[in-house]
Amino acid sequence: MWRKLKRLGIAQISDGLVALPADARTREQLEWIADEVIEAGGAAGIWLARPAALAQERDLAAGMAAARAEEYRAVLAQATEALATDEATRTVTAQRLRAELRRIARRDYFPPPERGHARAAVQDLFDDAAAEQEAVVQQGEEQP
Amino acid sequence: MKWATRASIHIDRAACAWLIRRHVDPGAEFVFVCDPAEMPAGATPFDMRGVELGHHSGDCSFETILRRYDLTDPVLWRIAAIVHEADLDDERYDAPEAPGFDVALRGLSMTCDDTQILAVTGPIFDGLYEYHRRAMLLGREPA
Repeated sequence: MWRKLKRLGIAQISDGLVALPADARTREQLEWIADEVIEAGGAAGIWLARPAALAQERDLAAGMAAARAEEYRAVLAQATEALATDEATRTVTAQRLRAELRRIARRDYFPPPERGHARAAVQDLFDDAAAEQEAVVQQGEEQP
Repeated sequence: MKWATRASIHIDRAACAWLIRRHVDPGAEFVFVCDPAEMPAGATPFDMRGVELGHHSGDCSFETILRRYDLTDPVLWRIAAIVHEADLDDERYDAPEAPGFDVALRGLSMTCDDTQILAVTGPIFDGLYEYHRRAMLLGREPA
């Protein structure tokens, strides 16, 4: 259950209380999870709530953005590290990180600047692997 | 028979409506409600909270309908994998088509009403079914 909520990018407000920005998709996903909790004999409900103070709303959004930023930084670090590996490893890592970026983007409601850096690093990894492959092909053609 | 679901449909409800019309009730009529209290008398609800044909034990409604009506066609289960991933994105299945379907249906919900979405997606699911039927017969991607 918590894994499902984490995947949605929830902000944990207190024990058993989580928040997501309200839209049709987040609301539906939370409703299905609530039903699962109820089916399993637990108690759950969905409230449409608004923080009384703008500052509190900003804190929640900042907290979610910071959690995503950390995930993007982890991707960036892995992409940078992979630059030093051989071409096959770079390609595999680039593909895995691209899928990871897509998963993070799905729960990224307040994109932090780290998103752009991580995307660029993964794209570099792809370009780098592709350039090397091209170089190898050219080298092969030059040989008689 | 009358079938009812939540208004503003996405992939699971669109796919369920197609499945119901093709494999459960050819004369199915669909009603879209904003509030479960508006449910017309005698209608069978699907993909709504707390109903039999909804999400259960990690299954999306499309999978629930397949189980409930004993539809064991492997092609329908291949489509179920796509619907499940487009709807829940929990990586239970390998369905690379899912992100595309998710975006296409979300886009349609911005330009079409629910009845129009069913009219547009019906032939797409027919084609998806035929594609995967041939793929299974051939054991590879069809041309």
